[in-house]
Amino acid sequence: MGFAQLVLRNLLRARVRSGLTLVGISLGITTIVALGVITAGFKSTAGAFVQSGGADFMVAQEGAADMSFSTIPETVVPQIAAVSGVAAARGALFHFTRAGSNPLFLLLGVTPGDLAADGPPLVEGRYLADGATDEIVLGAQGATDLNVRVGDALTIDDRVFHVVGVVQSDVLWEQSGALAPLVTVQEIANRREAVSVVHITLASGTKRDEVARRIEDEVPGVVSIVTADDIGKIDSGFQLLDAANVAISGLAIVIGGIGVMNTMVMSIFERTREIGVLRAVGWSGWRVLRMILLEALMLCFAAAVAGSFLGLLAVQAVMRIPSVRGFLEPSYEPNVFVQAFIVAIVVALVGAVYPAIRATRLTPMEALRYE
Amino acid sequence: MNDGRDVVIRCRGVVKAFENGRLRALDGVDLDIGAGEFVAIMGPSGCGKSTLLNLISALDQPDDGEIEVAGHDLRSHRHLNHFRARDIGLVFQLDNLLPGLTVRENVEVPMYGQGLSARQRHARAMQLLSFVGIEDRAAARPPELSGGERQRVAIARALANGPGVILADEPTGRLDSATSGKVLDLLESLRRNQGATVVVVTHDPAVAARADRVIRMLDGRVVEDGSNPRPAVPAAPDARP
Repeated sequence: MGFAQLVLRNLLRARVRSGLTLVGISLGITTIVALGVITAGFKSTAGAFVQSGGADFMVAQEGAADMSFSTIPETVVPQIAAVSGVAAARGALFHFTRAGSNPLFLLLGVTPGDLAADGPPLVEGRYLADGATDEIVLGAQGATDLNVRVGDALTIDDRVFHVVGVVQSDVLWEQSGALAPLVTVQEIANRREAVSVVHITLASGTKRDEVARRIEDEVPGVVSIVTADDIGKIDSGFQLLDAANVAISGLAIVIGGIGVMNTMVMSIFERTREIGVLRAVGWSGWRVLRMILLEALMLCFAAAVAGSFLGLLAVQAVMRIPSVRGFLEPSYEPNVFVQAFIVAIVVALVGAVYPAIRATRLTPMEALRYE
Repeated sequence: MNDGRDVVIRCRGVVKAFENGRLRALDGVDLDIGAGEFVAIMGPSGCGKSTLLNLISALDQPDDGEIEVAGHDLRSHRHLNHFRARDIGLVFQLDNLLPGLTVRENVEVPMYGQGLSARQRHARAMQLLSFVGIEDRAAARPPELSGGERQRVAIARALANGPGVILADEPTGRLDSATSGKVLDLLESLRRNQGATVVVVTHDPAVAARADRVIRMLDGRVVEDGSNPRPAVPAAPDARP
């Protein structure tokens, strides 16, 4: 019988207690995994939008609380386009609204010329006509969700649009939403002569970071969003998600640690006499300590596996909600699971250190006399 | 008094007190036990015989005096766990087997950390269980065994690392006379066949009658130490592993 097998045997002796502890820890891990996958998915979905239409990066309003709240006067777009190193600057206006059963349908206002030049590829129909105000191009998923085709009429915010095209976009928000003339979206959103973001295409031979910095220096009130992580500069929702993730991990460590400690302390108290026997037959304090730590680690490892699995199930359940499915795509990044396993290891160590030290400090005689 | 054999256990002026010194369990014990002796330590309850055994087995520390076992000075020994694992084998009055493990696994427990693979531990444990005549119960758990069987497992466990000294505290205290006889046969065969030194703490005269030498204690002191004019013992089957 190997040492690990001996340790496993100890855990299986109190199946109900070990099982309940495992469930408690795995629920914490479930939350960490589910939130981590969703956060990463939200970031990667938003990150994809940064490079929408083949853009190199994006500019938004400095200090905006949320990407959809970002407001840049339309007059600033030509100023940005005039910055050295910028080949093209395309303004876009976000308007999240209800369409069909989706309460988070993105209606993106764009100029017909920009859409024709750099828009996602058409699956059906055509792009927006110059000067048209009541035309709309749907993302393929959006068209499916709303059950509309080219030639149909679609009412959004009491405004009747004619569906003229369907596009296939790598950007989820576009794929599940729609593109409409900028002036029309400005009118619906009551944000006249404003855009939310400006997508930048670099002139050849220029460096992205240098141009991004130059725009911030030369155009007041804007901030450059070069990567998905930069979105946190303008979207406090990202910071909130990150903070929630850290807080939940911390809580999982504290609550899980107490749970493991309770289990291990109970177990060690019950087995004090047995520990005395182990010491009496020649086990060192270090070997006893290893046994107890390994018990906790095994328990938490099993909880991490179960919790990760439950986390994935939870994400699948959340993704069945249509509005969520159109808003973010889950991202199963390895670091989410690494974080979950690190939390499980920390929980094990936090929970097992005290009972392990207590057990090793007992002399064999004290342990053998324990009733 | 050890008939001139090599001294394996030497105690000099050993003192041990409990309850903040109010209860003096051992009060200056001097004792020499030679290699290969079968010694019974007798006396009434509270005379200090179990305390002496606990000190000799390094389960506890004396307040004063010197104890040397198998060449190790227990006061200065830095790795008492090594000493307990390799140099002595302990048999408790309550067998103290681990109830969650099988009989074989219980015998394997002292072998961890002794450089043996799992396969070697398994083979050695089966060999020892065969020696004590209980190999057919290797997969059973202690609660499924009779008192005599459990004590035989305890003896097998004590022999796990081939110690030269076997220390037994009331090993037949809870056994009927027939089962006691079998356990004593085993202990005696260890001395006879393997040259082990066997020290048994007992208050049972029948057990003492099987020993080479009987040490009597009273109030923490050795009051009598002499060879035992015991009758011839029927030979135990030679089951040396």
